[in-house]
Amino acid sequence: MGSRGAHRVAAAGVVAGALLLLVLLALPIAALVLRGGMTGLEQLGSDRELRHALLLTAQTAIVATLVTVMLGTPLAYLLARDRVPAGTLVGALLDLPLLIPHPVAGMALLLAFGRASPAGAALAQLGLAIVGSRTGIVLAMLFVAAPLYVSAAREAIARVDVRYESVARTLGDSPIRAAWRVTRPLAGRGLLAAAVVMWARAVSEFGAIVILTYNPKVASVLSYDRFTGEGLDAALPVAAVLVILALVPLLVLRSLRAGTALGEPAR
Amino acid sequence: MIEVEALAARAGAFELRDVSFSLPHGAWGIVLGSAGSGKTTLLETIAGVRAAASGCVRLRGADVTQVVPERRGVGIVYQHALLFPHLTVEQNVCYGTHDPQHAVGLARRLGAGPLLARGVRELSGGERQIVALARALAPGPDILLLDEPLAAVDPRGRTRLRRELRALQRELSLTVLHVTHDLGEAGTLGDLAILLEGGRMLQAAAPEQLFRRPVSAAAAEFLGAENVYAGSASPLESGAGDEPGTMLFRAGSLRLVGLAAARVPIAHAVIRGEDVVLARERAGTSSARNVLEGVVSEIVKHGALARVTLEVGELPLVATVTAGSVSELGLLPGSRAVATIKATAVHLC
Repeated sequence: MGSRGAHRVAAAGVVAGALLLLVLLALPIAALVLRGGMTGLEQLGSDRELRHALLLTAQTAIVATLVTVMLGTPLAYLLARDRVPAGTLVGALLDLPLLIPHPVAGMALLLAFGRASPAGAALAQLGLAIVGSRTGIVLAMLFVAAPLYVSAAREAIARVDVRYESVARTLGDSPIRAAWRVTRPLAGRGLLAAAVVMWARAVSEFGAIVILTYNPKVASVLSYDRFTGEGLDAALPVAAVLVILALVPLLVLRSLRAGTALGEPAR
Repeated sequence: MIEVEALAARAGAFELRDVSFSLPHGAWGIVLGSAGSGKTTLLETIAGVRAAASGCVRLRGADVTQVVPERRGVGIVYQHALLFPHLTVEQNVCYGTHDPQHAVGLARRLGAGPLLARGVRELSGGERQIVALARALAPGPDILLLDEPLAAVDPRGRTRLRRELRALQRELSLTVLHVTHDLGEAGTLGDLAILLEGGRMLQAAAPEQLFRRPVSAAAAEFLGAENVYAGSASPLESGAGDEPGTMLFRAGSLRLVGLAAARVPIAHAVIRGEDVVLARERAGTSSARNVLEGVVSEIVKHGALARVTLEVGELPLVATVTAGSVSELGLLPGSRAVATIKATAVHLC
């Protein structure tokens, strides 16, 4: 076989492999949406529990994302600018929740913040019960999804040339003011994309939430509940609506990434 | 006034060490050195955006080594301007000042008036540098650090900007420290030239002295001296009344009479090409102490100038003469020629 023939075979192999992967990813989603999508959308008008679960999911995911943005952005900044002692170790610790099976994450949260734990008891006294509450849902979402935000935010900030801040400092800005006036807007698109990823991941969380808070039910827990109690046909509309709603942040994310980065200096 | 004493700083794995110099108020200092020699690190450490590992930075007589950059009263212009891309030109210029009218006036004076409403991505390299300069000067610093600000500017714009910079420096009594690769800029702008190599300062002296009396062979080669010879020197034993410091330098069969600035071990002789006078035959008695005969091996013309390489024994000697002189002397490769060099033009280091 000549080199041109080998090239064609290799190209065909790449295309076939890509198609196979796309089918593997798209087929289950398409089957879910086609089987349950319309019913799920129709049920939104009549199924109060479904509406409530979707609203609760969206709200708790938004709260978890906002808390993470507030607490995680400064951390991401410090990591991006190598200003954290033992930054590599801290980065690895931050990635750890991504590696833990999510039900195990739920158990860890239960141990740390359950009623039997000192922290849980203290929070309960403040009226913040973790188990069986919205706070628990937010905590579970935050635990599993915040590392994604911090990691993506760190990359977005690191892409902004640190010398922009240096110039701003010589023009009179304090470090925080320089970061706010220069780095924040330049990394803004990346930070927003990181928040969207975090929100989407929080919306889809099941394993950690189900250990901490079965009720009130978020959409993923409701889908599981109906699957185990009433079978696949009852669970499908809930799952399908969740998938359709998840498309919104994904489309937002894609449009953000299509834009050009501001923070890279023009040459 | 900028005073730097035994300054050391780190930039990743790179280390700047033992830099000391003093630049008087209102003077123009030039920082020379190859890529990676530590020029930008030096500027950033003086500006305070990079911490000094040791040593001392004094500005206007006050120790500012531990002072934050926003309180040092120093403006900085980087090579790529680094204008804030999310702001317009006017917003960039007014970024660090509470007096936008003054900032805009400064920008107009530098020729950036028509650019004020534009986004910075629409600007050419030269326009960016003008805006960056206006932005740095707007808060009214009396010390300006320039990191190759003219590198991205076209030759015409460079001449104009250089002239404008000089005028502004005089008018505002600015103390300027200017990183450049352009040796011409060092000669035309600088009151003090600082030569860095591999993170160390090789020499700090007036540009003329730096070019004529480089402290080492590495400095001489970086500064474009055409003839650098390795060898040894000893005091001249002519008994003809030579002052102490007049030395006989030996490199192979080459013998040169030159001057040593101090009693230091001498390992190199440096002769700039323009200090070599060529003739076809030996002239009568002259004050020049070095008369060398050789054969022309190469003639390379650059416009009005020509570099003539003469083989003197086993060593080449490069003379920079006018192309007209080459024609008048009838020099061709293979011609015999005589090179005359004054002892004062042979720098021993």
